[in-house]
Amino acid sequence: MATEVVPEPLNPLGVDGIEFIEYATSQPQAFGALLQQMGFAAVARHRSREVVLYRQGAMNVIVNSHGVMPASPALAAIALRVRDAGAAYHRSLDLGAWEIETHAAAMELNIPGIHGVGESLVYFVDRYRDFSIYDVDFVPLAATAAKPPALAGLHWFGVVQAILAGRTRDWVDFYESLFGFSVLPQGTHFGVLPNGTLLESPCHKFYLQLIEPPPSGPGDGRRDESLVRVGLGTRDVPAAVRALAERGIVFVDRGAVQPSDKGALTQVYLGSVTFELVVSHL
Amino acid sequence: MNIDDFGMDTITLAGPLEAKLRAIRGAGFTQVMLNAGDIVGHPDGEDAAVRAVRESGLRVTGFQVLRDFEGLSGHLHAYKVDVAKAMLVMCRALGSTVLLACSSTSAHATGEPELLIRDLRKLALLAVPFGIRIAYEALSWGRHVNLPVQAWDIVRTADRANLGVCIDSYHVLAHRAAGGVGVDVDPRKVFLVQLSDFLWQETRSPEDRMETARHYRVFPGEGVHSAEVGTLVRALDDQGYRGDYSFEVFNDDYKQLPLPMVAARARRSVKWITGLVSRRSLPALRRARSA
Repeated sequence: MATEVVPEPLNPLGVDGIEFIEYATSQPQAFGALLQQMGFAAVARHRSREVVLYRQGAMNVIVNSHGVMPASPALAAIALRVRDAGAAYHRSLDLGAWEIETHAAAMELNIPGIHGVGESLVYFVDRYRDFSIYDVDFVPLAATAAKPPALAGLHWFGVVQAILAGRTRDWVDFYESLFGFSVLPQGTHFGVLPNGTLLESPCHKFYLQLIEPPPSGPGDGRRDESLVRVGLGTRDVPAAVRALAERGIVFVDRGAVQPSDKGALTQVYLGSVTFELVVSHL
Repeated sequence: MNIDDFGMDTITLAGPLEAKLRAIRGAGFTQVMLNAGDIVGHPDGEDAAVRAVRESGLRVTGFQVLRDFEGLSGHLHAYKVDVAKAMLVMCRALGSTVLLACSSTSAHATGEPELLIRDLRKLALLAVPFGIRIAYEALSWGRHVNLPVQAWDIVRTADRANLGVCIDSYHVLAHRAAGGVGVDVDPRKVFLVQLSDFLWQETRSPEDRMETARHYRVFPGEGVHSAEVGTLVRALDDQGYRGDYSFEVFNDDYKQLPLPMVAARARRSVKWITGLVSRRSLPALRRARSA
């Protein structure tokens, strides 16, 4: 039987940016303090779990310390804004994604999600316009504004993912087929860390960067694959660096990654956390 | 090419997993192809089996076998996806980076290439987060895919980085009337080569092929198709294949012989193959041949 083959839209899930980034840690106070130095403010607390929502401009960060969590904060999830979360979830499973157990979902918000790299998850959120996922399960913190402004116009630029040697094509397949990401031409780079492979979201609002270990790297062996860092975009990197430095954030000031007009990289905090600044057109 | 490029397959040997691993290592092999039965059938449970494998020091060539995955629909497809996921979880626990998937023999499976491709892409995607590669093999009695070239066509069209083919010399030889022994495949997409021979000239029907495959295989160099096995290995080597070779030898007699004796036969087979290939690969001989 001949069936008509209709191509899918370039953005099959209607991906529309990042709704939140989730970190898991057993040190929520220390990490919260770091986020505040980075310009985020705690705006709400989960009703029943040890989960706090931080915000800066359009960026939401969930800090999850419910249950057994790693001491060093780990990037635990990316929540994607999509047209229809249920449809996105079912399409992903049809294509070969692994579903997450509902009770494993971070905030018991019944946000559908799938497994991503390493221990991380990818959530689908479709309530992000008039009504947000935070309205029901979170209690606003009285002391802070609900919408703290962004420092130096900071916004999500992307997420960096460490992968094992030879795995770039596998992960490109993953992000292309599940979400409609596309690979930017070799040689396209942003910021001060010009390595790896860049994938652009189908909504053109953020990037993923896949980084294999350097060929001659020490003990190429058993590093795990994981999300390692978020990139924050700004039109004016030096202004952002100055503003953050005034708040006590330390940037790596030597070698190729020292602050420039293109970008900057913070030192490692709490054993694992860095933030990258990237000059951004987004 | 040397002993480190070859592994034995646990299905060849009798006895408990630990004894198989000991015999394989004792014969000088450094890798082993594992069967799900070794793991789930371990008297002390799966964790003990995984521990035994890890403590053996043997590298895991691959894990087998996912059967009849592609071409199903509805509840049969959902059921097989569950099976595939369980296999992938075991595969990862064992430190194996290859899962062997055989072409479907199911009467309920369609042969529509688009649907086979869709399903194999799904299997490959399921395997991505685990760092596992899927080696798709044409069983010579597969219902719709029973020649290496058919498996290769599907894999090539599916175009997924972690989806490749497994070439099994038995299936190539047993069904050569239709396909010859030549296998024209991108060597980078050959994720595993399984080697064996058998003791008679022909297997005419699918039933013949199945019966012979499951009971009467022998190690390369012991059968009656030595020249063809040699041709196949040389061709793969010449094309640039540098991956693993595993002895996929199902043989009822070997399962009632002492394990070290069977492992010694496997070791002898390695010597036979490496002698064959290294002689042919000498630059002087290559020049002489092309002159």
